[in-house]
Amino acid sequence: MAETMKEGDELLKVENIHMSFGKVAALSGVSFKVRKGEIHSIIGPNGAGKTVMMNCINGLYRPQRGNIIYKGQKINHLKPYQRAKLGISRTFQKIELFSGMTVLDNIRLGRHIHMKTGILSGALYVGKTSREEIEHRAYIEEEIIDLLEIESIRDKIVGMLPYGLQKRVELGRALALDPELLILDEPLAGLNLEEVEDMARFILDVNEEERWRVTCILVEHDMGVVMDLSDSVTVLNFGEMIADGTPEEIQSNPEVIKAYLGAEDLYVSRA
Amino acid sequence: MAKGFLPCGTYHQDYLHDHAWWQTKFVKGKMILLGIILFFVIPHLDPYWVGVANMIGYTILGALGVDLLIGFTGQITLGHAAFIAVGAYTSTLLVLEFPWPHAFIHMGIAYPISIIVGAIVAGLWSVLWGLPSAKVKGFYLILTTMAAQFVTVNFIITQYVAKIGGRGQAFSLPPGTIKFGPWVMDNPIRVYYLMVILVLLCIAIVANLLRSKPGRAWMAIRDNDIAAETLGINVVLYKLLSFFVAGFIAGIAGAFWISNLAAISPEHFPWSWSLWLVGVILIGGTGSIHGTIFGSMFMVLVMEFLQMGILPLADIYPQLLDKFFFIKESTFGLAICVFLIFEPNGLSYRWWQLKNYFNLWPFSY
Ligand SMILES: Nc1ncnc2c1ncn2[C@@H]1O[C@H](COP(=O)(O)OP(=O)(O)OP(=O)(O)O)[C@@H](O)[C@H]1O
Ligand SMILES: [Mg+2]
Repeated sequence: MAETMKEGDELLKVENIHMSFGKVAALSGVSFKVRKGEIHSIIGPNGAGKTVMMNCINGLYRPQRGNIIYKGQKINHLKPYQRAKLGISRTFQKIELFSGMTVLDNIRLGRHIHMKTGILSGALYVGKTSREEIEHRAYIEEEIIDLLEIESIRDKIVGMLPYGLQKRVELGRALALDPELLILDEPLAGLNLEEVEDMARFILDVNEEERWRVTCILVEHDMGVVMDLSDSVTVLNFGEMIADGTPEEIQSNPEVIKAYLGAEDLYVSRA
Repeated sequence: MAKGFLPCGTYHQDYLHDHAWWQTKFVKGKMILLGIILFFVIPHLDPYWVGVANMIGYTILGALGVDLLIGFTGQITLGHAAFIAVGAYTSTLLVLEFPWPHAFIHMGIAYPISIIVGAIVAGLWSVLWGLPSAKVKGFYLILTTMAAQFVTVNFIITQYVAKIGGRGQAFSLPPGTIKFGPWVMDNPIRVYYLMVILVLLCIAIVANLLRSKPGRAWMAIRDNDIAAETLGINVVLYKLLSFFVAGFIAGIAGAFWISNLAAISPEHFPWSWSLWLVGVILIGGTGSIHGTIFGSMFMVLVMEFLQMGILPLADIYPQLLDKFFFIKESTFGLAICVFLIFEPNGLSYRWWQLKNYFNLWPFSY
């Protein structure tokens, strides 16, 4: 069953996904697999359908055709909140934080699925609720805030923070779900060099540290980081999958080189 | 909502302390002072002003639910008076028509039970009218909540409920029927004590919910429902829970208010009352319990002063008296406009500023 999955087993399988908006075919027959424990990158030029694919995995979009299989279970019909409860968490390309709330409250919301307080116990705020709040506060402080080095901003309003820190808080909120599969949609976009290094380190940490061991799907334009971090890469172009393999295989794949030709200057590697 | 700064030199030893309501001795002192004013000063005022305080309390109870929906969950409602009416009628019918054992009536248990039942019925009725919120937002939700008002008050209550037992329009509440334990609700002071207890209780309920899982989920839905959903929040369920709690408190408001009335009729719960409650939270500042309280005090007191100013003039211009209703409504409209333009964050924001100023004083850097 779910808990007995081993490293390298198939965590997510995407089968023949078709998704179109009116006449625009955003995805036409995309299939790939993500193994437990790996960092699996999805790359491709702008408009290739990467974000649409992530939205299908996370449940914000319902593909017209195809299957999403998570831990051997078909999850096509599940709503995003149900998929979150199964351990699928994500960040967004365009930051989707609760910008009027503090950093701490944003991350607390990431703990939602692990809390038990209902209307009645919440209204009374009796022992159980109070204890739960303290427990989760400790978890957030020790596991998330410590990891991401955001001690000094925990009580700041998120909307007031610089972009790079907002990206970091969004990662913290996604991690607070204690996910098994973490979808990162362009976590490095818009960051400066130093921030890119930090973020790449955090991603590697949550993937490799015994405590986390989170499987990641990484959508990124920064080829240097992608090739460095990934265990496997899927390339999309105009909604179609044109390549799938290890970073080395992808780098020498003529199809991929062709797809990227002409747009080369857009994808300057920082490595 | 932004948390206020703590007084200079205060920091927290542990998480428990950081989560507490009243974090310093100073705040505790203020609360004790407030308690003294509420329980020992106001009851000794002129009964007229105690009556005004009761009106403020009733407004707070109504506006609290509206703020929960609009200010904290982002679900616009323009039909809240319907749920207050449901609470009031449920409570009235239970007290007057239910075959209570004599002992219950004697001990004054019937009315307290009817308040709870009224709250639950109003809560469930509110959930029913909140169902469209699963599919629609904003303007369309305004329309469906308005439908709640007209279907509930103007149709169901006016046409059917108000006629139960062969009554024409109003249910009279004979003196002595509304009895809370040993106390017969026959003067403003007793109504006042009941009001204070219910208001404090409801504020505590809402404040507690807001600092735990359900409240955070509501605010998440208000701020970004897509992000909320991806974090595992069942958006539809939590919207409905918000409708339930808002309706529940509306039910308490309605059931409480009958203790202040000699008779109830559908006219006590007009659509304008639903609008009024929205105005109260706009003036006080949405998404703030302080705002709900200040807004209620402000609106009720402004209307009182307006009335006091106009009554003496009525000797000279008798038509002012006929027009008072219109003057009141226009003042209300004007007040909302003025606040939206000059003080869009409401009274609570000024309060927050003032409080921080004094907390940080004398080192306000
Ligand atoms: N909600 C939508 N409605 C209509 N069309 C959409 C929608 N979302 C995406 N598309 C279209 O689908 C295509 C793929 O978009 P997508 O956002 O997945 O690209 P992407 O690979 O993430 O690109 P980028 O690198 O710029 O983020 C685009 O042509 C886009 O216009
Ligand atoms: Mg994208």
